[in-house]
Amino acid sequence: MRTFRLAIVENDEDERFFMSEAFRASGEFEILGEFGNGDQLTEWLHGSPRVLPELVLSDLNMPGKNGYDIIDELKATYPDIAVFATSTSSVMSTREKCVRAGAKDFIAKPDIFIAYDSFVTEFYELACQHLGG
Amino acid sequence: MHLNSDLIFRNLPEGIFMLDKAGRITTCNAAASAITGYEDTEIETKPFYTIGDGQDDPIKYRHELALVQKKKRLVVEGWKLRKDSTRYWAETSYSAVFDESERLTGYCVLLRDITEQKKKQLDLLESEERYRLMVEAIRDYSIFMLDPDGYVVTWNDGGTFIHGYTESEILGKHFSVFYPSADLLEDKPKKKLQIARDSGSYREEGWRVKKDGSLFWASVVLTALFNDRNQLVGYSKVTRDLTQRLKDEEFLRQSEARYRSLVEQVGDYGIFMLDTKGRIVSWNEGARRIKGYSADEVIGKYFSIFYPEEDILNGKPAWELKIARSTGKYEEEGWRLRKDGTRFWANIVITATYDAEGRLSGFSKVTRDLTERKMSEQALQDSSDKYRQLAEELSVTNSELSSVNRELEQFTAIVSHDLKEPLRTVRSFLQLMDRHLDQQRFDLMKPSIGKGILAAQRMHDLIDNLLHYSQISKIGLQRQKLKVGDVIGEAIQNLNDAVEQSGAQIRVNSDVPFIYGDRVQLVQLFQNLLANALKFTNGSKPEVVVKSWMENGSVRFVVEDNGIGISPDNLEKIFEIFRRLHFANQYAGNGVGLAVCKKVVERHRGKIWAESVPGSGASFHIVLPKI
Repeated sequence: MRTFRLAIVENDEDERFFMSEAFRASGEFEILGEFGNGDQLTEWLHGSPRVLPELVLSDLNMPGKNGYDIIDELKATYPDIAVFATSTSSVMSTREKCVRAGAKDFIAKPDIFIAYDSFVTEFYELACQHLGG
Repeated sequence: MHLNSDLIFRNLPEGIFMLDKAGRITTCNAAASAITGYEDTEIETKPFYTIGDGQDDPIKYRHELALVQKKKRLVVEGWKLRKDSTRYWAETSYSAVFDESERLTGYCVLLRDITEQKKKQLDLLESEERYRLMVEAIRDYSIFMLDPDGYVVTWNDGGTFIHGYTESEILGKHFSVFYPSADLLEDKPKKKLQIARDSGSYREEGWRVKKDGSLFWASVVLTALFNDRNQLVGYSKVTRDLTQRLKDEEFLRQSEARYRSLVEQVGDYGIFMLDTKGRIVSWNEGARRIKGYSADEVIGKYFSIFYPEEDILNGKPAWELKIARSTGKYEEEGWRLRKDGTRFWANIVITATYDAEGRLSGFSKVTRDLTERKMSEQALQDSSDKYRQLAEELSVTNSELSSVNRELEQFTAIVSHDLKEPLRTVRSFLQLMDRHLDQQRFDLMKPSIGKGILAAQRMHDLIDNLLHYSQISKIGLQRQKLKVGDVIGEAIQNLNDAVEQSGAQIRVNSDVPFIYGDRVQLVQLFQNLLANALKFTNGSKPEVVVKSWMENGSVRFVVEDNGIGISPDNLEKIFEIFRRLHFANQYAGNGVGLAVCKKVVERHRGKIWAESVPGSGASFHIVLPKI
């Protein structure tokens, strides 16, 4: 079973804590970095890390560079990195907007951030679909 | 008796020669000598013909004598020479003389010098001949004579030319052949002779008939001729063919009549003539229809009656004539008045007219009523304007709709993210606390309760801000005349605490004394911009300058700070609602301030944008219409 190299971008510290807990617990992801917004992510990427992530999971609503900015920027600068967007939004238009902008897919956040288990399972399946499992 | 007769013979004033029966002169009297210049002794025994005939012609002489012998008497006229070779016209009367037994004994010759008489006769003949030739040669006039009853007795070339008859055809014919049958029925020829006889002459113009039956228009003068005893001897008749003149006149007349009737009947154009002073001298149907005046009402009036009062006061009619006089023509479109006082939109052309000598004789004026055309043009324009307005309204509605649509989309995003997030956080912490409670981990509950309260507070603030933001576009905009200084002053006043805390310097350099707008909203605008200027610093004391000036009829405001500045990528994003560039622990805020600024400026039909060199502060620029 393959694991995916992942970077997580989420501005809410508590949310980010529970989110990364769930990803680590699954054993299916290797978390290369956790960032509070797009500025922090791109700063890290521009610093030429030893290993680049295969996947970026990014929140949409963040101060500074938000999720949409990340989708835009990585599409141009790191086209090999697959960006997946997530947010509290449950409306279809949000997903469409992200995919149109260049995201691989969109996954709605769980109702409460202490229940990320099923989210991680769904995300793994999507990652396998897009990158091959 | 014998003596007496000899005495008479000698003294007779007529020249008398006595000839023997052979024709030789036996004697002549003194009168004869006086005529011929020969003494009787010089010519006795000479044949009579030898004196003064100038030629020896015995044969003719013998013939004449034979004639005399037969006819008893012979008168011969002819030239004879005197002794001195001068010429005289002689009338020679021969008489044969017989004895008692009727035998010829000789001849008596009576010689008279009638040179003077002959000369007069010759002069007269010559003169008459000249007139005759002249008259006969005239071709333009038919000149002939009638006898007292009206029969043609002379003819000339003109007669042949005009009437078509040769002299031989017409001589002796009655002059009534020249008249058309209608005139003959009325017995005109006879009546005309009567008039000429009674009054001396008769003149007329009328139709006459040529030999070939065709008519011609003749000018005729019939003159009665009387001799010295005042007896009517006939008539002279002079006829001229005026058909061509008549044709020319008729042509002109018809042409003029055609033109006049054309002009008079034209209904779509008012065509009339003015004299040099501008008084109306002719009027047509079109003018009547367009202006409503009949010809009787308007002829003689000054043409300014068609002009509106202001034009008359400005001297426009006279000015138009002046232009037409100097340049030949004046043309324009403008309002004119009808008889009933209503206006019509006229196209007029005034043209100066000149007589044959090139003097100004007046003006022609052609007027067209373009009111209907103008009206339809106007209607077209109106309807085009209406459609344009409709299109503009549609476009405005469309942009309003898309703006509403965008706001709706924005609202969806706000509800699904910004409002949902703190709610979800509260819920998450409540769940976590529930889990902690189950696990009896009361120590972990306190931080979760604190985070839940913070999230609830954040949600409360978000809802407040959202309501505030939406109020800006909902509440009716006030339009007040506001002192710029007051507006900015109030904004600074509201930020008093922040100004004091930061130790900021705020300078206001306003060239613009007044603006028009909503006081509350404009104070909010400057308050938000100033609050940002005070907030986004890197520790140094804020220095803020507020400037304003007039620019292309608009008011330009600039709020300039010495803060952290804005990266070029973010210059537009900063105006989006709930958009934040920084984490709350860095610079507190809710992402609503500049969105409110943008909304306020847009509601005042203005523009707002930011300029910045990162690290050297930012400037916010606002352009508002003056009114």
